[in-house]
Amino acid sequence: MSLAGSYNGGNTTGFASPAADSLEGPIDLAEILDLRRANRYPVRVSGEALIERGILPGDILIADAAAPPAHGKVAIVMVHGEVLVAQLAYRGGEWWLRPGRLGDVGQVVPDDAEIWAIVSGLVRTSV
Amino acid sequence: MALYGLIDGNSFYCSCEQAFDPALRDKPVVVLSNNDGCVIARSALAKAVGIKMGDPWHLIRRRPELSEVVAKSSNYSHYGDLSRRVFEILGAHVQRLEPYSIDETFLDLAPVTGDLMEFCQMLRGAVRQIAKIPTCVGVGPSKTIAKAANKLAKSRPELNGVCDLRDEATRVALYQDLGIGEVWGIGGKTAEKLAARGVRTVADFLRLDPRKVRDMMSVVGARVQAELRDVSCLPLSLMAPQRKGIAVTRSFGMPITDWWTMREAVASYATRAGEKLREHGLLASTMTVLLHTNPHNGDPWYSNQHSARIEATNDTTSLIGEAIRMLEPMWRAGFRYSKAGIMLGELIDAGSQPMSLFPTKDPVRSARAMAALDAVNGRFGRDTLRPLATGISRTWTAKAMNLSPRYTTRVGEILVGTAY
Repeated sequence: MSLAGSYNGGNTTGFASPAADSLEGPIDLAEILDLRRANRYPVRVSGEALIERGILPGDILIADAAAPPAHGKVAIVMVHGEVLVAQLAYRGGEWWLRPGRLGDVGQVVPDDAEIWAIVSGLVRTSV
Repeated sequence: MALYGLIDGNSFYCSCEQAFDPALRDKPVVVLSNNDGCVIARSALAKAVGIKMGDPWHLIRRRPELSEVVAKSSNYSHYGDLSRRVFEILGAHVQRLEPYSIDETFLDLAPVTGDLMEFCQMLRGAVRQIAKIPTCVGVGPSKTIAKAANKLAKSRPELNGVCDLRDEATRVALYQDLGIGEVWGIGGKTAEKLAARGVRTVADFLRLDPRKVRDMMSVVGARVQAELRDVSCLPLSLMAPQRKGIAVTRSFGMPITDWWTMREAVASYATRAGEKLREHGLLASTMTVLLHTNPHNGDPWYSNQHSARIEATNDTTSLIGEAIRMLEPMWRAGFRYSKAGIMLGELIDAGSQPMSLFPTKDPVRSARAMAALDAVNGRFGRDTLRPLATGISRTWTAKAMNLSPRYTTRVGEILVGTAY
């Protein structure tokens, strides 16, 4: 007797499965996204300002707290009590947040703000 | 030559809260014990407005000077995950390390080459950047000295988070003023006993003849004395010692007055105890069940507990059955119960279980059912699948009025960022 779900493609009862020595299991997304590492955090996107950049509301961003900030990267920024997902720009020796929507003006990252993590990947569970 | 570091998180629980909620960063924050009872952690600002450890929050919250204070319910899923991250970050730089408590890690610093202070600052920086937790480090030739150094690093901002007590002259000067009760391993009772003999500071303590210390305080005291002198007697424990008992006792969010609710609560504690047993690969062979009313609020006092030997098991359904059987004769209607609990003892390795002549459960089927239960709950979150005996509405669960999200362990609760 076998519990439902315990067949793995190799443990057949009658004919030996030719795949038995080559089983690999399903693809592990946590592995691909490196989610088990201490420096990886998931962050949910709210708002539509970054649609042009391909980031939609509801997306799960994979944020890397060990990665250094860089011009053009998308970052998680803690500023004035808020958690923002914003594009970074480096201008005149200062970090700026560049708005996703054309026509909006950016803002300098103030001294008391924190560039919390750099976005390295994205998961969208419904397309 | 032995060399140890002790790194710990500053106001660890508060820092965990502030790490993920920028609105808390410039506010005084406290974290409350289970059931939102007493203050168990204070941010620096909360300390500054005079809140003490153990203060009952419902009694002090109305004080005008505390109007800005944010009180959070304890969110151990979140703190545990950040603790795991801190340990992993440290493990990337230090070969041997001991997770001493949720917010303290002993480090073997003997192999470190180069500037040790720079190394310690690098560790602090990495933990700060990646796990978002500010820390302090104490360094010394024994764990006891490292622990004392860590305390100093925290209380003296001019040390910039790292205190180095490798140098004997520095220690000797420090020991003149350091109270013996401040030392790791010396409890309040022992400190009183020593004070009665005129031993108040560490310097006094080190002047005592080791043989006399051994007579007075057994080998533990002798070890503390040697460790303070710089003779390392306590090596790193790289593995947690095997547990001697498992206890799940909790205060209820509201007093329980009816049998079925009490039965649910105790069944749920038995369920949690079973999970803990299986996590550690253990079976329990004794069980204690206890319950009592609140001794502090004027309710009529009733307290009872019962212990018995049980067939060695880690099967949740067996544990619930035993617990309810022990609970039934203790139940008295008409009381307002505030707390109940289960304690399991005489734990043995699941592998070394002596064969029972008349097992009441097929051990193979039981192991399979429990493995399936744990697999579902491991994948989809605690209590996704649970015995019906533990109830559906669970009105008795502890109060947690201001619980933050489980930011890194539940996909429905992760940090939300607003697109800019």
